Amino acid sequence: MGIIDDRTMDQVRARFGERLQGPVELRLYMRPSSGRLILPAGYGCPTCGEAQELVEALRDAAPEKIALEVIDITSTQAPVAEVPTITLAAPGGEPRIAWQGLPAGYEFATLIDAIERVSRDEPGLSAASLEALAQVGEDLEVMVFATPT
Amino acid sequence: MSLAGRMAIASQHVRALTVEAGEFPHLAQQFGVSGVPRTIVNRGGAFVGALPEQQFVITVLRLAGVDLDVRPQDGAAAS
Repeated sequence: MGIIDDRTMDQVRARFGERLQGPVELRLYMRPSSGRLILPAGYGCPTCGEAQELVEALRDAAPEKIALEVIDITSTQAPVAEVPTITLAAPGGEPRIAWQGLPAGYEFATLIDAIERVSRDEPGLSAASLEALAQVGEDLEVMVFATPT
Repeated sequence: MSLAGRMAIASQHVRALTVEAGEFPHLAQQFGVSGVPRTIVNRGGAFVGALPEQQFVITVLRLAGVDLDVRPQDGAAAS
């Protein structure tokens, strides 16, 4: 069994088949996995292997809609400081949605939902929230610390 | 999907970054994370806990210094 069990993968494939509209681009920034070896910050990456398995499974669930690029930050200049980092964007768009760390548990569900919403360009916010967001004139970052459970 | 991500779909000015707190303890410490979800705007103002959608959006925008043309009916408060 891979990182995602067969039953869950069946559900993801069915959901993507129903809900994906436009294409999306996933990127994974990673370092070659150090396995279970604990290394100082900046070296190795205990969860990069699992993160790669996870995004490849998502790509394989809808390969006609989901493009995946895996970027090893040890061999190229990357715009991220920490790995694994997964970014999500519409094709050609600047990736403005990202996860740092393995999106396991509840965060896996938010990643699935995010892929569907970006594909449909569907924020799913109330008219009042959209009106407030229309007043934003400068770039801002919302960083949310979460745990997998 | 997180409300931060939904804001990023709605506005090209918004970036949403979710960080697994347990995987990056140095960042959790740097940003004073003692409970989750902790939301930090522009690496400055922050609040802990989940908020209803409109309150979340308005609280984030206020922490970012956006001059909102809305009445403060939501009671949003930032800590």
